Amino acid sequence: MTTLLVAKQYIKNFIGRYEVYIKPLMKLVLALAALMMINGKIGYMHRLDSISIVLIVALMCSFMPVNFIIVAAAAFTVLHMYALSIECAAVALVLFLVMFLLYFRFSPKDALVVLLTPISFALKIPYAIPLSMGLLGTPASGISVGCGVMAGYLVNYVADNATAFSGMDTEEVATKFRLIIDGFLGNKEMLLTIGAFAVTIIVVYVIRRMSVDHAWTIAIVTGALTDVMALLVGDLMFDINVSIVGIIIGSIFSVLIAKVVEFFAFHVDYSRAEKVQFEDDEYYYYVKAVPKITVATPSKTVKRINTAKKKYSGGQARKQ
Amino acid sequence: MINEERVILMTRLASYEANEGKKDISVLNYFRNDFIGFQVLKSVIAATISFLALFAVYIFYNFEELMQEVYKMDLFAFGKNVVVLYLCTVGAYGVISYVLYASRYSKAKKSLRHYYASLKKLAGMNDK
Repeated sequence: MTTLLVAKQYIKNFIGRYEVYIKPLMKLVLALAALMMINGKIGYMHRLDSISIVLIVALMCSFMPVNFIIVAAAAFTVLHMYALSIECAAVALVLFLVMFLLYFRFSPKDALVVLLTPISFALKIPYAIPLSMGLLGTPASGISVGCGVMAGYLVNYVADNATAFSGMDTEEVATKFRLIIDGFLGNKEMLLTIGAFAVTIIVVYVIRRMSVDHAWTIAIVTGALTDVMALLVGDLMFDINVSIVGIIIGSIFSVLIAKVVEFFAFHVDYSRAEKVQFEDDEYYYYVKAVPKITVATPSKTVKRINTAKKKYSGGQARKQ
Repeated sequence: MINEERVILMTRLASYEANEGKKDISVLNYFRNDFIGFQVLKSVIAATISFLALFAVYIFYNFEELMQEVYKMDLFAFGKNVVVLYLCTVGAYGVISYVLYASRYSKAKKSLRHYYASLKKLAGMNDK
């Protein structure tokens, strides 16, 4: 644990020092991952499905606010669907419009989850999202995660049924539209996932705020179990064929990821180094305020000496 | 001579101004009712657009049935239902945003009060 804390300290220092570069880099990586996944899954518009376009947009995202990535990803999704069929694009557009207008006006900070949820689905670790959001967010994050799940399932649904949609005649607009809506909203697995995730977030949130020892760890484990239980019960009730092994393995990985999140978030003293400028009557000030380094490193040294001593004094202790 | 204590205080203030203070100050540029009213108005517009979009989806979804029954059905009652539904949606959304923005305004006021207290302290230091 001490080595980990020291490693964390190094990471913190590193981030503190190079934050100006790391932040755009992270945005670039996230935007690249998201756009390439969208292109890989539903790359129907050939103009967009080229690495140069993706790179340009990702570079743009890297110096825009974080939420621009979501707008770019939504635009990519809608355009690709437009190339497939205009009805799919309309459904996606309405979904995104309602999401942005009704919910993300209130909590723009949560908006990134809409992007991270489908990505985590693609990486087969979707259960990490409700656990992490329960740890970091509020119960309202359940809505953001729900939106993310819907976006992910919409993309998957369109990708799975692309041949059916493109094969239909252009005159059958209403039928096509109906097919998409029915297939999308009638997807019991999606509804079950949204419900299970919402319950998980609330459970994790409630437990992590309790004043008991190891509240965060208990919250993670209980949350993961709740998630698995909810999915399995839902599986039995609605007769959906979800892969039980997949859920369990995914949950174990998600617990590990949530532990990593906890490690970085719970032992919070990550406050950024800040650069501020101001002036008074006599001077201009260009101040860099760096948070003081905490005691993680010295505490590690102390512990090591003790353990080393114990080894030698083992014999003496027995004599006494 | 540079007064260290003053620099520390100014740094704190500048950092607040650059981060969360920016938002708080922009919120408190308005009177309470103006701020909340403006935000609720924006919410109502957002809700109206969303409602129209969802209504369009509904119409397209039931396009064939609606076309068949358009001469038989009571259009006035249908329109009344839609309007009532619209008012309920927008009303509920408006109330939610009223509560939310009212609490945001009072939060911003609270944290800005600290800021002004520090500013006063700074002014006191300058006078010395």
